[in-house]
Amino acid sequence: MNNQQKLQHLYWRAGFGLPYTALRKANTTTEQAIQQLFRTAKKIKAVPSPKYDVPSKAQFERLSPKAKQEKNKVLRQLVADLNSNWVLQMVSEDSNPLVEKMALFWHGHFACESKRVDFAVNQLNILRTQGLGKFRDLVVAIAKDAAMIMYLNNQQNRKNKPNENFARELLELFTIGRGHYTEQDVKEAARAFTGWFANRFTGEFEFKERQHDVGEKVFMGKTGYFDGEDIIDIILDQKQTAVYLVTKIYRYFVNPTLDANRVEELANLFYKSNYDIGKLMQFIFESEWFYASANVGAKIKSPVEFLVGFAKVLNMKFSKKESVLFTQRALGQVLFHPPNVAGWKGGENWIDNATLMLRMNMAAIAFERAELNIQFQDQPEQKTIKQFKKLEVTASIDQLQKLFRKEKYEVQALADFLLQNSIATDGTFIEELAQYTATADDKFKFYLLGIMSLPEYQMC
Amino acid sequence: MKNNINRRSFLTRTGLATAGSLFVPNFLKAFDQQSTPLNSERKLIVIQWSGGNDGLNCIVPYKNNLYYEARPTIAIDSKKVLPLTDDLGLNPKLSFLRKLYDQGEISIVNNVGYPDPDRSHFRSMDIWQTASNADEFLSSGWLGRFVDAHAATNHYAIELDDTLSLALKGDTKSGFAMSNPRQLHQTTNNELIQAIQKHHHSHEHDEKVAYLYQTLSNTVSSADYIFEKSKTYKTKQNYPKGALGKQMKQVAELIIGGCDTQVYYVNFSGFDTHVNQTNKQDRLLEEYSNALEALVNDLKKNGFWDDTLIMNFSEFGRRVAENGSRGTDHGQANNVYLMSGKIKKAGFYNTAPDLVNLSKGDLKYEVDFRNIYATVLQDWLQTNDQSILGRPFDSLNGIL
Repeated sequence: MNNQQKLQHLYWRAGFGLPYTALRKANTTTEQAIQQLFRTAKKIKAVPSPKYDVPSKAQFERLSPKAKQEKNKVLRQLVADLNSNWVLQMVSEDSNPLVEKMALFWHGHFACESKRVDFAVNQLNILRTQGLGKFRDLVVAIAKDAAMIMYLNNQQNRKNKPNENFARELLELFTIGRGHYTEQDVKEAARAFTGWFANRFTGEFEFKERQHDVGEKVFMGKTGYFDGEDIIDIILDQKQTAVYLVTKIYRYFVNPTLDANRVEELANLFYKSNYDIGKLMQFIFESEWFYASANVGAKIKSPVEFLVGFAKVLNMKFSKKESVLFTQRALGQVLFHPPNVAGWKGGENWIDNATLMLRMNMAAIAFERAELNIQFQDQPEQKTIKQFKKLEVTASIDQLQKLFRKEKYEVQALADFLLQNSIATDGTFIEELAQYTATADDKFKFYLLGIMSLPEYQMC
Repeated sequence: MKNNINRRSFLTRTGLATAGSLFVPNFLKAFDQQSTPLNSERKLIVIQWSGGNDGLNCIVPYKNNLYYEARPTIAIDSKKVLPLTDDLGLNPKLSFLRKLYDQGEISIVNNVGYPDPDRSHFRSMDIWQTASNADEFLSSGWLGRFVDAHAATNHYAIELDDTLSLALKGDTKSGFAMSNPRQLHQTTNNELIQAIQKHHHSHEHDEKVAYLYQTLSNTVSSADYIFEKSKTYKTKQNYPKGALGKQMKQVAELIIGGCDTQVYYVNFSGFDTHVNQTNKQDRLLEEYSNALEALVNDLKKNGFWDDTLIMNFSEFGRRVAENGSRGTDHGQANNVYLMSGKIKKAGFYNTAPDLVNLSKGDLKYEVDFRNIYATVLQDWLQTNDQSILGRPFDSLNGIL
C-alpha cells in the first residue's frame, strides 16, 4: 500500500475522505496526518445553532391549539436547520474531520431524538467536545443531558415510582451490552437515577433531592447507597464494558468483520487507560494493521458519509437547506432522527434497491442539477433522469480538474483517488463513455461521473 | 457538428448500451437458495393508515350515549350512520365497506392494540411494523422477516413508495420499494447503470463489493420484470384521482398481470386529526372507500379477489373524548379490517369497544395486533408464524 492509499484510508475512517487539496502534499506521512487531525480536534468551532425563544409553560398553555401546532412546526423546522448546519459544517473546507466523525459515531451510539432544538444543540455540543475525551465524562454528561432525560423518560423516574427506561438503555446499549446484567440490576440502577431531571425551560440538569431514592441498592454484586454516578463507575469497573465499546468502535472505524484478538488487545488498552477515547483512537490509527488491505474499503459508507464525501469532491454548495435533509431522507439516515434508541444498524442495512439506485445515480443527478453539462459529438438528445427536483446545488470541479490534468487526463489516477477498492479503468466503460465527448475537459467530467457512479464508490 | 446537450437531457446514448438487454449471469439471478418457496398463490395487500386513524368514528357505536356525550361536536350523527349490527355502524363515507359486509367479505376486529401502548407516532408505528413488544427494539420488520424466509425474487414484497419502510426490511434481505414501474425501469435502464452492469461482468471486482453488485443485478432484473408485467394488463376500471387511487391501480395491474410478487404495501397518511377532525377524516375515508371499491371490483372481475387479502391498520386509535379543538388526541386500541373474497368468518370478530372501562381516557386493547399477524401468516400465507414473529401468538379462530 503506498502512502497516498494509506492517507486516503486514514481520512475516510477519521473523517470524510482525503481533501483533494492534500494530494499536493502527498509526501505527508500518516504519522504527521494523525498528529494534524488530533491537533485540529483541539480547536472546536461550535455548530451554528438556530435561535429559539423558549416560551414559558404558562405562555405555551395560553396559545390556541392552532398556534401550538404552529409553534411545534417551527420547532421541527429548527431541528432540521440544526441538522443541515451540522452536515454543512462537515462539508466545509475548514471542517474538523475527526471531531465530526467521532460526534457522528457517538450520535449513533447515544441515539436520541429531541423536539427542542436548544436541547439538541446542547447534546451535539457534548458529543463534539467530549467525543475524544474520557468515556466516563461523556456518559455522565449524557445522563445529565436534557434531550436524553426527556427521550428516555428519566424525567418520570421518581422515588417509589421508578421509570426504568434510561437505566435499561444505559446498560443494554450505552455501556456493557445485553447478557451482562440482571433484571434486578436494571431496577436498582433506575432507583439510583431517580430525581435526575432536567429543567424543562432551560434544559439545565437538576438533581431533585425529594424525588431521589437515597436507600440502599444492590447493583452488580455491590451494596451501597448508590447514586447515578456510582452506578456508572460500577459499570465501568467491569472489563466487559470496555469490550462492548471497543467492539462497536472497531466495527465502525476499522472493519465490520471483527478480529477477536485485536478487539481484546484494544479492550485491554482502553480499560487500562481509564476509558480514554482519544488514546484508543490514536492507537488504532497508528497501528500498522489498521492499514491492512482487508480493512481498506471494507465499509459501506453511511448516507451521511456518502453525502459529505460526495459534496466535498464536487465542491458542492447547497442553495437550499432542504436539499441536505431531503437527500438524507432518501438515502435512509436523518440525523437527530434515529430509527430508535439503538441507533442506525448500518452496514448492508443501508442498502436496498431504492437506496442503491439513488446512490449510483446520485452523481448523474448532481451533475444535472448543478448544470455541469457535457458536450457530445453528434449524439441525439436522449432521455434524462427527471427526479430530485428538490436538490438545489452548485458544484465546481475546476480545482480537482487541475490536479489531474497533466499532459492528458489520467483516469486511473482519478479512480485511485476516489475509490478505496481499486479497479482498473483501462479499456472500461468509463473510457468508452468519455470518447464521445467533444473536449478534453468534458472527458474529465465523464471520468468523474463514471467513477462516482460505481458500486465501488459506495465503499470506504 | 457539435450538439449542445442542455441540462434537460443529460445522459445521452453512448452507443454502449443495448437498451433492455441485461447482462445478469444466472448464478446471480438465483436470489437465494436458503429461502423456502411457499406454495401459496395468495396475495396480501397491507394498507397502512399513518397518523393514528380515529377508529371510533369509522366503526361507530351509534346507540351508545357515552359516545355522543364524549364527542359533542364530532360524533357521527346516528341518523347518518350505516348500521351493521344493533350497536355498531359505519361512517357514511365508508360506504363500500357496507357492501363488503353484506357480501360477507370483511372481518372487523375491534379493540386491537398491544400491552403498554406508546402514544408516539414513530415509536408506535415501529412497534406495529416490527411486531415487537412495547419495550423492545427490533431492526427488522415482520414482512421483512417473511421475505427472509420465503423470497424467491428480489421483488417478493413491494412497497408502493420511493423508500422502504421498516416493515419490509428483513434481517438478511429486504422488500422492494417502487412507486412507478416506468420510472423504476428508467433509473435502472439508463446508460450509466447499464454500462456498469456490463463492466461488472468483464472485470474482476473486489470481494468486498460483491453484495452491492448482487443487489444491483437483482434490482435491474426485478425492475425489468416488473416493467414487463405492468404492461401485461391495463385496467379499464375507473380509479379515483389521488395518490391512493394510483397505488391501488398499480397493485391491481401487477396482480392481474401475473406478477409473482406476494405482498404489496401501501401507505395512506394524514390521519393525525387533532384539529377540526370531521372534514379531514371525511375526505380521507371517502378517498379510501372509492379506491378500495375500484381495486376490489377490478380483482373480482378478473378472478383474483378470492386469492387476495387486504389488511388495514393504523399505529393507534384516538382518545374517546374529543379535545377542545374539534379534534382528537392520540389514543390506544383501534379496529383492523381484513377483507377478501374468501373470508371464512365474516362480520365482527368481537364485541364493540367498552366505553365505560377506559385506560387513561382511551379504549383498552383486547386483541394483540400480533394475533392478527399470526392469523395472516399462518392461515392465509400458510407459513410458520412463530418463526417470523419470534414468539407464539394464537391465530384468531376461523376468520381466514
